Amino acid sequence: MRAAQISAIILGLIAVIAGAVGAFYWVGAALGVVAQALFGAAYIGVAVANAHTLLLVLVMILASLLTLAERKWSALMQDRIGPNRARFALPGLSNRSLAGLPHFLADGIKMLTKEDFVPDSASKGLFTLAPMLAFAPIFLLFAVVPIAPVLTASDIPGIAGLAASMGVSATFPVSLQVVPDLEIGLLYVFAFASLAVYGTAIAGWASNNRFAFMGGVRAASQMIAYEVALGLSLVGAMMIFGSLKLEDMTAGQTAGLFGGALPAWGIFLQPIGFLVFFVASLAETKRAPFDAPEGESEIIGYFVEYSGMRFGMFMISEFVEIVVLSGITVSIFFGGFHLPLPPAWGAEAWLASHVGAFGLAVVLGMGFVLKVILLCWVQLTIRWTMPRFRYDQIQTLGWKILLPIGLANVFVTGALILADQSLDWLAVAGLAQLIFVIGLTVLYPSKKPISIRHSGGAPAQPAMPQGH
Amino acid sequence: MAHDTHRETELRPGEARLSWYQKLYVPEVLRGLAVTTRHFLGNLFGDRDQSTDVLYRKGSLGNQVATIQYPEERMPYPEGYRGLHRLVPREDGKPRCVACYMCATVCPAQCIYIEASEYSDDPIEKYPTSFVIDQLRCIVCGLCVEACPKDAIRMDTYVHTPPEYSREGFVYPIERLLKGPAISYPSDPWMKREDSKQPTDQHFPLHGIAEHSTEPVAQKEPLPQGENHPPQPVFAESDFQKQK
Repeated sequence: MRAAQISAIILGLIAVIAGAVGAFYWVGAALGVVAQALFGAAYIGVAVANAHTLLLVLVMILASLLTLAERKWSALMQDRIGPNRARFALPGLSNRSLAGLPHFLADGIKMLTKEDFVPDSASKGLFTLAPMLAFAPIFLLFAVVPIAPVLTASDIPGIAGLAASMGVSATFPVSLQVVPDLEIGLLYVFAFASLAVYGTAIAGWASNNRFAFMGGVRAASQMIAYEVALGLSLVGAMMIFGSLKLEDMTAGQTAGLFGGALPAWGIFLQPIGFLVFFVASLAETKRAPFDAPEGESEIIGYFVEYSGMRFGMFMISEFVEIVVLSGITVSIFFGGFHLPLPPAWGAEAWLASHVGAFGLAVVLGMGFVLKVILLCWVQLTIRWTMPRFRYDQIQTLGWKILLPIGLANVFVTGALILADQSLDWLAVAGLAQLIFVIGLTVLYPSKKPISIRHSGGAPAQPAMPQGH
Repeated sequence: MAHDTHRETELRPGEARLSWYQKLYVPEVLRGLAVTTRHFLGNLFGDRDQSTDVLYRKGSLGNQVATIQYPEERMPYPEGYRGLHRLVPREDGKPRCVACYMCATVCPAQCIYIEASEYSDDPIEKYPTSFVIDQLRCIVCGLCVEACPKDAIRMDTYVHTPPEYSREGFVYPIERLLKGPAISYPSDPWMKREDSKQPTDQHFPLHGIAEHSTEPVAQKEPLPQGENHPPQPVFAESDFQKQK
């Protein structure tokens, strides 16, 4: 009963996402037509439309819904029910929890109407600047992520007529990407991702609170430590796809491995790179298990002096970061907006011949958003599975483990690409790594760690040499 | 041997002795994620078991949500739970209480206040004109119930003190205490007035009190498993709200 209801809701949400992608295309093309008529440059209109639809609508809505999802999903993972007490005081709705949706509106109202407290001894200008510095760079990262293929404007229903009525041609390309054709692609991502450090460090310093300051220092050192691994982890992917542009990487993943039996996804070619990137990006989001900078339960963190919407900016920037990093991960390692099917089947060509270019683009865009949501879910699951790392463990993991692994991955990838340009050897190596890890996970017998305080029963025989 | 044991424990604080595959960390993390995911999917898709017996809940598809949505769902209180007091009425609606002050005397919290008076038509019995329990002072020890010689005060409501907006609201007058089913025994004086046919020696068995039973304890039937909660609650909180 409930399974059927939940499945229906999920299908409905998928339909909503598909409709939204179609609407994004249409708004982009329509504004493009207007800009073509006004300035003679359609790309201005498309870019303005994308900046609003993709950043403000898609990313912001996903991020703010994640604030609710975090609580609701964590409740499900912990055998609880989760928030369901906020209600709309409307007839017919007053007795429905609506899966906790009113909570996220109530939270927004709460954030906006709370007292905006600034400590007397704080540095006022920097105190105000810090939340913006933490939020803006993260938000900008999504500009280079392509969420659906490029279409010609006339492919989109209704646009050809609109263009004809305004007397312009509808031959300009419409892409669902805020900044298409940005050659520096990933470098832009790294540059803005590292700018986010300033927000946290300044927040800690400007609060003039020692605990906040220590939190800011922890945040800064953690983010600097993982920047290196973050950059190194993608070098392999850059070598494989021969480009820094995310749309080139997405296009590169439609190639087939082993004669088209397997899509050339980054996860198959670069499992180690994916692991390093994912861990490093988790550390960049400063969320559990890497939430030592905040440590809200015992070692309070850099935004302890913030309240109201200033705090809300820090919080929402975490969730935006989750969405953005999921988007980048999907683009590089999970085939971007392409279907998770072997290219030999020709599924996309079949779809295009049946539902047209626009229908295919909507399906692909929907697939991208679903992949992003799935990865967001994985990140939240990790947050609710793992305990927090100790601070020295964070630094050890970053400098002594991820950095050497990332370096080794670069060399091995380079050698395998040199040895075999068709990437099949690289895929064999990657699949072997995946199978090794999955095999260990599934097959290795579950065994409790030998307790330090072992007492009673048969004496534990550690696998270390005795007697010296 | 003791020396060896000591050396085995020479690990740094927080360091556990792990096998090589546990040190790889990733497989163990994936196992952990699998556990979390199993709970997530089961609780997301499975029907929730609404039974209030939380420990034995078993929903469909592995739903194991343990939450009780308190004001709507309530855990049954165990048998013998000392709930809110009530003054037991007789069949005619008057309290059984004869204003003997035994409960007020035994009360360690001194939360019972009684004023006595006499029935004009019955020079033998007294009755309380005022019987007040301050629920904020009450420590729910149940001594008043045990002290009462007339079975006139009971704590069998299986309701705990409902919230109030003022301290005065927790001072329960007799109007809020006199609730519930009427109880009368054949030995009650008002049952034995002129023309009463009940013999006086029927007193004990009709009380239904175990101590007076003659059958051996070992032969008594044990309480059936899973039905260890008696039918309740007899009362709703609204029964004890102030009369508007």
